[in-house]
Amino acid sequence: MRFWIVVVLLCLAPAVRAAPEFPALTGRVVDGAGVLSEATRQELTARLAGHEAKTGHQVAVVTLPTLQGYTIEEFGYQLGRHWGIGSSEKNNGVLLIVAPKERKLRIEVGYGLEGQLTDALTKTIIEQRIVPHFRSGDFNAGVRDGVSAILAVLGDVSEGEAGPRRDRADEGPPGWAWGPGIIFFLWAVFMYAGMLRYRRREGQQPWERDSRHGRFGGGFRGGRGGGFRGGGFSGGGGGFGGGGASGGW
Amino acid sequence: MMSAIRPAGLSPASLCLLALAGLLLSGCGFNAIPTKDEATKAAWSQVLNQYQRRADLVPNLVSTVKGFADQERRVLNEVVEARAKVAQMRLPENILTDEEAFKRFQQQQAALSSALSRLMVVVERYPELKSNQNFLALQSQLEGTENRISVARRDYIRAVQDYNTELRTFPGVVWASLWYKDAKLKQNFSVDESAVGKPPEVKFN
Repeated sequence: MRFWIVVVLLCLAPAVRAAPEFPALTGRVVDGAGVLSEATRQELTARLAGHEAKTGHQVAVVTLPTLQGYTIEEFGYQLGRHWGIGSSEKNNGVLLIVAPKERKLRIEVGYGLEGQLTDALTKTIIEQRIVPHFRSGDFNAGVRDGVSAILAVLGDVSEGEAGPRRDRADEGPPGWAWGPGIIFFLWAVFMYAGMLRYRRREGQQPWERDSRHGRFGGGFRGGRGGGFRGGGFSGGGGGFGGGGASGGW
Repeated sequence: MMSAIRPAGLSPASLCLLALAGLLLSGCGFNAIPTKDEATKAAWSQVLNQYQRRADLVPNLVSTVKGFADQERRVLNEVVEARAKVAQMRLPENILTDEEAFKRFQQQQAALSSALSRLMVVVERYPELKSNQNFLALQSQLEGTENRISVARRDYIRAVQDYNTELRTFPGVVWASLWYKDAKLKQNFSVDESAVGKPPEVKFN
């Protein structure tokens, strides 16, 4: 009897591990702390949607009522993974996180954008564009300026390196494109069938749920990078590894 | 055409049986050990990757600090030495299951961590250095890298926890004893790195 209790407890162990409680992803701007005006939220939502349409990058803004005792670095990457901002193939998500209660902010950068939005650049954006506004208590201006700076850094590159890749494909004879296509199709069918099974079996493991390998479902559902489903905004399963910078005011 | 790809000597019935066996086996956790084993390896290489990134930053950082605070020889040398030790470290193939080697790895990385944090305390005394653009960029990169290291470590801890639990609980324990006899429990980061290395001492004298 005792043996079975131990077995059951061990099975449950990973599920009860403490994790922060994450706010729901209600849109591109989640103002949990209630510091942004309606106008700012609408303006930012429109601009961020436009940016995604143009470049495929998902940028989201979130203000938090509390960090629940975690550091903003700990909270940030987990929130990014939980929401799955960015696409699962490109990991091109960015989060601007503001915690007014703790007076901390962070720009969390997905794996795929770490090369463009470097630590040094995000630090500069935080210190020069956002913090001065926050110091004078103007969250709206700070967030708007910060988002402008982030989009300016990201804006110049549209949709990866689609241009050169298309050129290369044009060089080969037209028939060549079919072989890899068929192989890929077969591979995709097998992978997808495997994943359905995989998700049934392992879907409940927290490790799988949080890891960037475990978010296959998001990638398939959202196609290239989430987008809009039923009018709502959703992530595409992008991964975060702690890139970006933090600051305080 | 289909017969061409069928392995010799296997009738359709036995092929079906094989496929069925495959489904049944993976359904009852036969694949769980190798799957989780791979997950720990992936998480480990991310840990190594981020530590490497930090080691790569050090020479630049040291030379920048030297330009402004050459008199801080002692702290600078500590960083350089700790970095050299990390770079020379030979990682055995089985480091994940070798307690000694794993501990050594952790200690040497922790030594570099604490040397670097001492350096970052010392530089506070040099306002000129602190307003240097190059230094500020390096400093934010170092902060970012330290953060990536802690994320990678946390991911690794989770992956190993998951793998070790699989090895020691049903049904993994059955598969481990029947089939994956060479699967061993893996080492995990026992304590937070900051607790291993001594915290930076701030002396006012």
